[in-house]
Amino acid sequence: MIYQQTTYLHYQCLQLNGEVDLHNSPQVRKQLLAILKKGDSVLVDFSTLSYIDSSGIATLVEAFNIAKNKQLTLTIVAASGGPLQVLELTNLDKVFPMVANLTDVKE
Amino acid sequence: MTTTSPIITVKNLNSHYGERQILKNVNFCVQQGEIRVIMGGSGSGKSTLLNHLLALLVPTSGSINIDDVDVVNADAKTLSNLRQKMGVAFQGGALFSSMTVGENIKLPLKHHTQLDENTIDIMARLKLELMNLAGFEDLMPAELSGGMLKRAGLARAVIMDPKLLFFDEPSAGLDPVTSVELDELILKLRDAMNMTIVVVTHELESAFKIADKITVLFDGEIALTGTVDEIKNSDDIRIQNLINRRSRNEKINAEQYIKRLTTGQG
Amino acid sequence: MFNSLTLTIESIGSVVVRRIESAGRLGTFLAQIVSRLWGHKFPLGETIKQLHFVGARTVPLILISGLFTGMVIALQFYDTLIRFGSVELLGAAVAMSLIRELGPVMAALMVIARVGSATCAEIGIMRNEQQFDALDCMAIDSYHYIMLPRLIAALIAVPLLTALFDVFGIGGGYIVGVLIHGVSEGAYLTGMADTIVWNDVLMGLIKSTLFGGVILWISLAKGFYLHIEQKNAGAEGVSQATTNAVVLSAVLMLFVDYIVSSLMI
Repeated sequence: MIYQQTTYLHYQCLQLNGEVDLHNSPQVRKQLLAILKKGDSVLVDFSTLSYIDSSGIATLVEAFNIAKNKQLTLTIVAASGGPLQVLELTNLDKVFPMVANLTDVKE
Repeated sequence: MTTTSPIITVKNLNSHYGERQILKNVNFCVQQGEIRVIMGGSGSGKSTLLNHLLALLVPTSGSINIDDVDVVNADAKTLSNLRQKMGVAFQGGALFSSMTVGENIKLPLKHHTQLDENTIDIMARLKLELMNLAGFEDLMPAELSGGMLKRAGLARAVIMDPKLLFFDEPSAGLDPVTSVELDELILKLRDAMNMTIVVVTHELESAFKIADKITVLFDGEIALTGTVDEIKNSDDIRIQNLINRRSRNEKINAEQYIKRLTTGQG
Repeated sequence: MFNSLTLTIESIGSVVVRRIESAGRLGTFLAQIVSRLWGHKFPLGETIKQLHFVGARTVPLILISGLFTGMVIALQFYDTLIRFGSVELLGAAVAMSLIRELGPVMAALMVIARVGSATCAEIGIMRNEQQFDALDCMAIDSYHYIMLPRLIAALIAVPLLTALFDVFGIGGGYIVGVLIHGVSEGAYLTGMADTIVWNDVLMGLIKSTLFGGVILWISLAKGFYLHIEQKNAGAEGVSQATTNAVVLSAVLMLFVDYIVSSLMI
């Protein structure tokens, strides 16, 4: 499965696995939008993510914007390596709230 | 450079245009993640070589292997799959004049993916931002300058996040500032997206700045493939001429110059 | 002497070979487009866009040229028929010549002038600017995406334009015959209705559909093969290819016209 969903504090945590690309980013999008629709804030955990393409990034942008409009939050957790570089290339590391560890997430 | 198998392997490539032989026994490999510059003057066969790599031309003999696909003999389906992993930025952008810049950039996604309209829009804008073209989405190509067209063409080439990017003459016809920006962009793309990039150019300066390795073509033959330093220190007189031509042009022989201006000769 | 003879034969031979090659290209080009009708999603959006270009935007030209054509043939027929004392045949004569012959041919000439030339130039410029290479590299099939919608649009739009041309031609004939020369309105209209049979309409329909196909086929091909057929690929090549397309599609259209007429009369 491309993602695993768990509950952490009052957040829904979506852990992305392996590679998010053109083929599976629609699944991630569907799940993210569903969580936000229910009115929950999201943590997107990058710790087991090895690659994310621009359709995945675009999905995060869309979800982030929806979250903002609903006064919810979307936080990126443990971004490193390739996925972090892609965020930096698109300057989104300065837009998304980012934390290094799940334990850094505040109540 | 890793020791994995090369992403591009060209073996004993020969190509003819009518009776004339354009490429003579061309051999080279490009490794994954490498920036390779194919350099040569006009008539050196570099454009023909590019067209072979893009499977737009069929060679007389020899083989081309890209990402484990035999490009010369591949069937339509295999070639189509390979091409979805390749991006090509053409010299003049090659944008479709009947569509806006945004529609042009989204075209490959609309054709090959089932992504949501919102995702596609954001992806296109991300690439436009990257190319410093934010806000130009709704303009027609005819309203853009040459440099902008080139960058828009590059945006379209990378919209599917290709493994392999071909770039034809990135700096031709651009002012020095824009051409430096494009060089930096090429380096950024490789680093962040781990693309393999093949650049075809006649510009030495940008070649020296971006290349991991340079393949120099003369009259359809490879004179040398090597790192920037290897090229600079080559004994090959033709390569030295190519390198030195630039500085020689900048020296002015006053007497000859006046003669040229007044008589048109010399 | 012998030498110059061989030279002449050689040059004739090479011209013949080039013509045959060119005809072969035209044939494969059409076969490629037609084959995209099967196993591909029909390019509906593009076809509608092209219908607008080929059809809707040609309407004003068709209305004006139809009106004048009708007026002028009514004038000619009136002058002829009055000598035989049979002006009541005017309506039938005007309608018959328009529906069977003049409508399809004149409307097709207008389409060549407006759509054929523009299409050939557009496709030629696309070729020059490497847009077809770009399509190939994006794994987008240009026969399916660019050519098929234009051909289909022509097959639909040209018969409709021809019908409009006929209606306005008959109206023009009415203006000249009934309003200017005082032919009775009843004679003009009932004469027409009594004489025209389904076969006449069918002939006009078949002709105009084929003409539409021929015009776009030739115009698209001449632009698409610009890089092979023209020595100078630049602006000069585009203008040369456009001229070739206009001339060839006009001639071919008249040839098809004769064939269909001879089969149906």
